[in-house]
Amino acid sequence: MQLLILVMLGGLVGIACLLMPPRAARVATVASGVISLGLAVSLIADVTHGPLRFGFLRADSLSVVFVLTAAFLYASAAVYAIGYVNRSAPAGYQRRFLFGLNIFGWAMICAPLVDGLALLWVAIEVTTVVSALMVAVDRTRAAAEAAWKYLLIASAGLGIGLFATIIIYHAGTTVYGLSYDLTLNQMIAAGGRLDSHAARLAFVLAVLGYGTKVGLAPVHTWLPDAHTEAPTPISAMLSGSLLAVSFYAVLRYVQITQLSVGAGFVHTVLIVFGLLSLFIAAFSLLVQRDLKRLLAYSSIEHMGLLCLGVGFGAPIALTGVLLHILAHAAAKGNAFFCAGVIMHKYGTKDIGSIRGGLDKLPWTGPLLVASVLALSAFPPFGLFRSEFMIIAGGLARSSVMVVAALLVLITIAFVGLIRATTSTMFVPARPGTPAAALPRSEPSAWMVVPIVVGSLALVVLGIHPPDQVMALLGQAVTEFGER
Amino acid sequence: MQVVAPSTVNGVASTIAVLVLLVEFGMLRAGLLRSQVRLYAAQSLIASLLAVFLGVVRHEPELLILAGLSIALKTVVVPLVVLRLVRQSGTATTGSGILKPAGAALVALAVAGFGFFAVGRSGLRVDGLSPTVLGSAVAIIAVAFVLMIIRNDVVSQAVGFFSLENGVSVASLVVAAGMPLILEVAFLFDLLVAVVVFGVLMRVHHEEQSTLSTAQLTDLRG
Amino acid sequence: MEFSPVAVQAFQVGTIALCSPGVSGVIAKIEARFQGRRGPRILQPYYDLIKLFGKESLAPSGSSAAFLLAPIVAFACYLTVPLLIPVLTTYGLPLGTMGDILGGSLILALAAFAVAVAAADTGAPYAQMGSSRTTTFSAITEPVMLFVIFTVGFLTGTDLPYKLAATVTSSASQVVRPSHLLAAAALFLVILTETSRIPVESHSGTNEFGMIEQARSLEHSGPYAALLVWGSAMKQMILYTILLNVFVAPWGLAASGKPLLVAVAIVTLVAKCCAVGFFVTVIDNSFAKLRLFKITEFVAAAFLLAVLAVLTIYLGGG
Repeated sequence: MQLLILVMLGGLVGIACLLMPPRAARVATVASGVISLGLAVSLIADVTHGPLRFGFLRADSLSVVFVLTAAFLYASAAVYAIGYVNRSAPAGYQRRFLFGLNIFGWAMICAPLVDGLALLWVAIEVTTVVSALMVAVDRTRAAAEAAWKYLLIASAGLGIGLFATIIIYHAGTTVYGLSYDLTLNQMIAAGGRLDSHAARLAFVLAVLGYGTKVGLAPVHTWLPDAHTEAPTPISAMLSGSLLAVSFYAVLRYVQITQLSVGAGFVHTVLIVFGLLSLFIAAFSLLVQRDLKRLLAYSSIEHMGLLCLGVGFGAPIALTGVLLHILAHAAAKGNAFFCAGVIMHKYGTKDIGSIRGGLDKLPWTGPLLVASVLALSAFPPFGLFRSEFMIIAGGLARSSVMVVAALLVLITIAFVGLIRATTSTMFVPARPGTPAAALPRSEPSAWMVVPIVVGSLALVVLGIHPPDQVMALLGQAVTEFGER
Repeated sequence: MQVVAPSTVNGVASTIAVLVLLVEFGMLRAGLLRSQVRLYAAQSLIASLLAVFLGVVRHEPELLILAGLSIALKTVVVPLVVLRLVRQSGTATTGSGILKPAGAALVALAVAGFGFFAVGRSGLRVDGLSPTVLGSAVAIIAVAFVLMIIRNDVVSQAVGFFSLENGVSVASLVVAAGMPLILEVAFLFDLLVAVVVFGVLMRVHHEEQSTLSTAQLTDLRG
Repeated sequence: MEFSPVAVQAFQVGTIALCSPGVSGVIAKIEARFQGRRGPRILQPYYDLIKLFGKESLAPSGSSAAFLLAPIVAFACYLTVPLLIPVLTTYGLPLGTMGDILGGSLILALAAFAVAVAAADTGAPYAQMGSSRTTTFSAITEPVMLFVIFTVGFLTGTDLPYKLAATVTSSASQVVRPSHLLAAAALFLVILTETSRIPVESHSGTNEFGMIEQARSLEHSGPYAALLVWGSAMKQMILYTILLNVFVAPWGLAASGKPLLVAVAIVTLVAKCCAVGFFVTVIDNSFAKLRLFKITEFVAAAFLLAVLAVLTIYLGGG
């Protein structure tokens, strides 16, 4: 029943937003976000007894992790949007914005909850088209360019994803005959009996196709543009949950095909994609001049890390990966929210023009420093714990060289991130520049609240994650079939 | 070496699939955006005819329903939407590519050859149908990518994506013919949504850039 | 009573040699009707040939023996090719195996080469232009023919035209396989190029700048010109015969040397050639001539079809 409410609520509220006055729409959006988050949390307890099924819906521990991610960012973006969207903007624009935000959040909650690889593809395609519209919602030249590139590249990638879906269907015909439903239960149960040639092809195509949306190099080229030009709440959702939800699709393909294809092949492919993404992202981070672009490349870095974590093939690394997804959503959401506040304050995204952030923004300044440290996996934040687990798994199961390369690359990425942050936050604004004349204040309290909540979540995940959450992750790893 | 002939049913199916591929090459060659969209309509029609043919031969009425839906969507609705956009834009109605047609054809031919080769090497075996159909499908997907890469106008790129989807449907007729109708319809519905969004973004692009060309899209890099 | 194989083989050559001007006449008539003219008599090409044979022949000063030799060599080549291909019979004739399908196309190329050399030998600008253009375009149609021949090789396991005709008639599944259809289509496009038809060349134009093949023979006169005109009619019919009796419609051929069967085969062949001519005329009247530099694109299309034919059969088994 919660499943049904979860997959209806956001969509209905979104449509309702088009009809309501902006003020009511804002309230409805926040309510919908918070209720979705509550329902997602309540799912944690429900799936401990095995997967829930309801018609075309299915929830198991793995999908709940992603639902939590999506719902968390949906709720925080909804609160943040209250402060972000200009109240004096035309009512039509505000309605459209909230409609898009709701539908986008809703689509990302639905994707992990639908049962079957075909419906999963449909849901992910919906997230693509909705988010492409939202990237273009501000109607600037750059936004139109970014939206077009994003839509085209992501759709082409999903075209390959569709091909993967069809091939995996073919792989299952050896077990279930010509006509069957492609549900997750069936596919997971089929295990090693899938046609191995077809499963291997489907797996590679899925990594490439869905990988386009995850932002794996070399098919990541849309990601920095879209993240930079989208409105900030959407950037946060793109980075924290859209990438994660696409990664969920990759994980399902890994889960289904690894028995018939052989874990070695699966892990090698993932490690290659992961290292390449880390490499590209780490060196791109060093040269960025744009604050949101910096964070976008950091997302590519983290997605590469997730790929490596799965590629290591160790249960502890996989637990780390799932924890990482939760923590990364909070940290990257925070970082983008802070960037949005800074843009609001300084009127620019150029790292060279933003100075004295700690002085001018009493809350956001320190919170940005905290989020960047969290993204760089500093204790006591959740990402420290998750990266530690991933690396431990890598040392246990994989080659030392790979782990060493990983460590070197995330260190380079850290240098790039921290250099930009220190220059914007700690270096005081030179007298006479526009930045120096700004007053010391926060643009809106609504924009600070989600950042504070996110930071608390990060600290909790880092110091002592709730037992229920760790149990959920553990169960997901067991169900995943990782030994 | 003599290559034994496939059965007649197989031969007809392969021939239709190869025709779809040839239309894809035609789209690569077509200069006018209008004619490109029309070729897409023709391609969708031929691909649907393949569904009709297989539906009749294998006695699967579901495929006939699917073919009807996809004809309605892909040979009528989508081309009309895109043609309307081209007409309203009124600016340049010819696309330009970064390669001359003969060069583009050679590149696409190499890529298509790789498609056939890849299917041959992938070890995929489908009972009852020769690898030509699947090979053509993969070649269509590959050539659609070439189309999207070498053309720099939004219409050609969008049409490239739609025709990529045609390639996938041809493939699905071969390897996943038994897929439940509900899933196939979900795919088609999704395509419809994608078309609408492509249309909206093409319009936004045209408003912002005053052209259908993507040659100016160079602001974002690094 | 039955004709001996040698006699049938002589009939093959005779049919091509004697009927080809007639086929050209029929095509010219159809073309004229399409354009709303009454057109010349069907037998007009024969009268033209008789007229040309009766005239004196001149050679440009400074031209060598190659100039006068070329029409004879070309004509001899066109007389040789019908020995190799199934013009009238389904069964192989004694000399049919002296050259395969590659040999046949080499002999055709030799004829084109001789005419091109003669044209270059004249020193006249238009003839030389025709010579260089023909050579350029045959350099790009040649690979297409090679791929078509490869396809034949995969289809039959041999390189004998007779075998392909037999394979095609053996079952419907051989007709509808994509490689066969693609190769036939590629061959058809090459034939359009080789017989100087729209969209490559305007068949009946008098503007020398647009000419490709026709410009080569501008300097020849008298019986030599007659041989060239007759030769190009024969070349057209030979190419049509290859398309029809090897690829597209190898039906109506004589299965034995019975006079009735042979006669039927002759009549069918002429009728089929006229049908192809009709189709070519339709194309002639529906499309515009391509600019010279666009002809590569046309040939690229033929190349595409031929390569796809090889790909589908070699990698796809189709």
